Amino acid sequence: MTGSPAAGRVAKLTDIWKSYGAVPVLKGVSITLQAGEVHALLGGNGAGKSSLMKIMSGVIPANSGAIEINGRALTHASPAHAQDLGLYLVPQEAHILPNQSVLENICLGLAASPRALRPRVEQLVTELSVSLDLDAQAAALEIAERQIVEILRGLVRDARVLILDEPTSALTPFETNALFQRVRKLQAQGVGIFFISHKLREIREICGTISVLRDGVIVLSGPLDSYSDAEIIDAMSRVQITAASGKDRTGRKVSQIGRPRLSVRGLSGEGFRNISLDVRAGEILGLAGVVGAGRTEFAETLFGLRPQSAGSVVFDGEELKKRSPRVCIDRGLVYLPEDRQQHGLFLEAPLFWNVSSYLVHRLPFFLRPGAERKTFDDFRASMGIKCTGPGQEAHGLSGGNQQKVLLAKCLSARPKVLILDEPTRGVDVAARNDIYDIIRKLAAEGVAIVLISSDFDEIEQLADRVEVMAFGQSGGELTDDISVDAIARLAFGASEARHA
Amino acid sequence: MLDLFARNRVATLIAVLFVAYAAIGAVAPGYLSGATASVVISNSLVLMLISLGTMIVILTRNIDVSSGSVLGLSAAVLGLSLNAGVSLPLAIAFCLATGALAGAFNGLMVAYLGIPSIVATLGTLGLYRGIMLVLTGGRWIEDLPQNLKALAGNHGLGFSALTVVVLALVALAWFFLRKTRFGRYFYAVGDNRAAAHHLGVPVRRVQFAAFVATGLCAALAGLVFAAQIGFIPNQAGNGIELKAIAVNVLGGVSLLGGTGSVAGVFAAVIFITSIDSALVFLKIPAYWNDFIAGAILLSVLLLDGRIRQIIDRRIRARRYAVHERGPAQPADTTKARIVEAGR
Repeated sequence: MTGSPAAGRVAKLTDIWKSYGAVPVLKGVSITLQAGEVHALLGGNGAGKSSLMKIMSGVIPANSGAIEINGRALTHASPAHAQDLGLYLVPQEAHILPNQSVLENICLGLAASPRALRPRVEQLVTELSVSLDLDAQAAALEIAERQIVEILRGLVRDARVLILDEPTSALTPFETNALFQRVRKLQAQGVGIFFISHKLREIREICGTISVLRDGVIVLSGPLDSYSDAEIIDAMSRVQITAASGKDRTGRKVSQIGRPRLSVRGLSGEGFRNISLDVRAGEILGLAGVVGAGRTEFAETLFGLRPQSAGSVVFDGEELKKRSPRVCIDRGLVYLPEDRQQHGLFLEAPLFWNVSSYLVHRLPFFLRPGAERKTFDDFRASMGIKCTGPGQEAHGLSGGNQQKVLLAKCLSARPKVLILDEPTRGVDVAARNDIYDIIRKLAAEGVAIVLISSDFDEIEQLADRVEVMAFGQSGGELTDDISVDAIARLAFGASEARHA
Repeated sequence: MLDLFARNRVATLIAVLFVAYAAIGAVAPGYLSGATASVVISNSLVLMLISLGTMIVILTRNIDVSSGSVLGLSAAVLGLSLNAGVSLPLAIAFCLATGALAGAFNGLMVAYLGIPSIVATLGTLGLYRGIMLVLTGGRWIEDLPQNLKALAGNHGLGFSALTVVVLALVALAWFFLRKTRFGRYFYAVGDNRAAAHHLGVPVRRVQFAAFVATGLCAALAGLVFAAQIGFIPNQAGNGIELKAIAVNVLGGVSLLGGTGSVAGVFAAVIFITSIDSALVFLKIPAYWNDFIAGAILLSVLLLDGRIRQIIDRRIRARRYAVHERGPAQPADTTKARIVEAGR
């Protein structure tokens, strides 16, 4: 790809260097994007992926190197400049203005008024086959809908280069399919797309080209077909990773699964009704379903965060009638929330505070930071948390390491039943495997685990038994034949039928 | 009905205002008159200007507690220039330039040097007052020329030239914030700074502009103050910034930025000023003013908070009601859910 004045080229990055302080994160990255190409960009946490994207989209400046979008150079770091040149970054966490209407959110920053753009936005909404109330206040949007707002922002700007940063991490399979159809349509129109994802299955489905970043260097690049999954994963991580597919229940037999720890009977509450399930000691129960199926609401009701309208919860033979997080934690029923930024971590606080925060009501009046640091160091060693020390602030950690800290926080309460809500969302492959190992180890130690996940691969790999929720109700149970297809049939088939 | 009040703070305020007027009018006949209106309006001008400026800064999720000092400083510049023989138009220009400069310095620190606005303006609150005292040598400025005082004098219809200017400015601010693209940017920056930056809104320039606008408003308030009172004491404008923040809250401007309207602030200023004049009519001693104003502010906010809670609970119930209907789901469940969520 040397210097050919390809008319089909929509983006070209040449020899990009970037360092934060003395730490280099990008060491001479060059990458080219053709019109109509869907280019997968992979890399572990800290590989420099997000820095590269930020540089491309004008959020931060590079130390050196050239960026060319649509044949014109990106001369200074400004998102507006990059958008003018025809590049739009759809971030992983949607940027929403909660007090403005959806339409205003989509049209902000454009020269034309929202009213003038309305027909065009409506047309795009129809083409994307989503239902979105343009006049609603954006604060009421759910995560998936926020993502759609971001994608619409890119589309309404007529971008020739789109960067999709883990666009499906919050979407339901139905919405993902709709998104992929739209991506193919854009592809046909000659839009070039950088597609960032940790899900190889999705990458295989939609991407034609792949580049893998590791430690600030591109270590693998070319047509996707010419690489196997194993080769890609190898390139991404120096650490040898156990095969990411197939069942792995090492060191644990189903016969070791003990008596029921938690029995839920006919529980109803906000967003779900009449859910019954049992979890036994040493068992991993997968709670599968699509986004919006009511699983998080169910878990939050169990944990006493939301009011219940009917049903009973029996924990270790004792009915828990008045539940609050404190009561649950003291009994050993612990919940790891879905949104680690918002509900999980104290981002400005040191890591050891984060870990001891769950048991803050049990700490002595005069604190003993030494003991807290020690606790953290134990978890750090056993989980492989990468940080500068127990005093580092949580916001400085990568997603995978933040998730491990969150897990450590839950484990500090010595749970008997652990509810994990999307424990690997936005986590790279290596850290994900670490977390899988931790979950398996916990189960082997006799902890009853409820694993809530929209990633059916994850459920298939980890769960001994699966309960599926669909539209706030029980969608069925799987005990023997736990496969992605079977889960999808229950979780998605049911909703498909209702769409018809 | 509840929805209307919750969505529209201005409506709540005007309703309360009318009830209050009716009650006072019944107790003290003669209160409801053109003369009272004229007094209330002219008494409200200074607070109106400071509140308007403060609102623009609060919209962008910053705060300015230095506007009282900017008022004092620019009034001092005005008075000293006039007493030194400078012509009135030129002295007014100096006064406004002082306000703009003071605001620009605040804006520079907040938008470009990244100092939190509360810290920066707390600093300049003292600094600007200090500069004023240095300029005046700690003395009051008296003997202001007659042509300045004339600006505050009534012209025929019971309105002074300054009233017209201020009301025009309020209308202009309403138009700018509601009807122009750059005005929309102020809301966007306060609502979600990262999102605004991401979408190409010049975040820093908007923040800077907000502080300059506030400085200009405060300088104009200094001019009104000097013209109305006829002299400039050292403590001119002292503490008015806090009153302005209270007015903003009363008028429905969120201190978290991103929401609020000029109409709300306007109604709140009239409301607060009316209380003062009503107390005179009701023959309640003036030292009750602050107590009653504070109590009313708290009552309105409590009422407003309760209404909001009720509405939130209703929205929540409606949103989850979909799942209570039993196993037979209507065919358009997803759509219904999304529409419900959007309410």
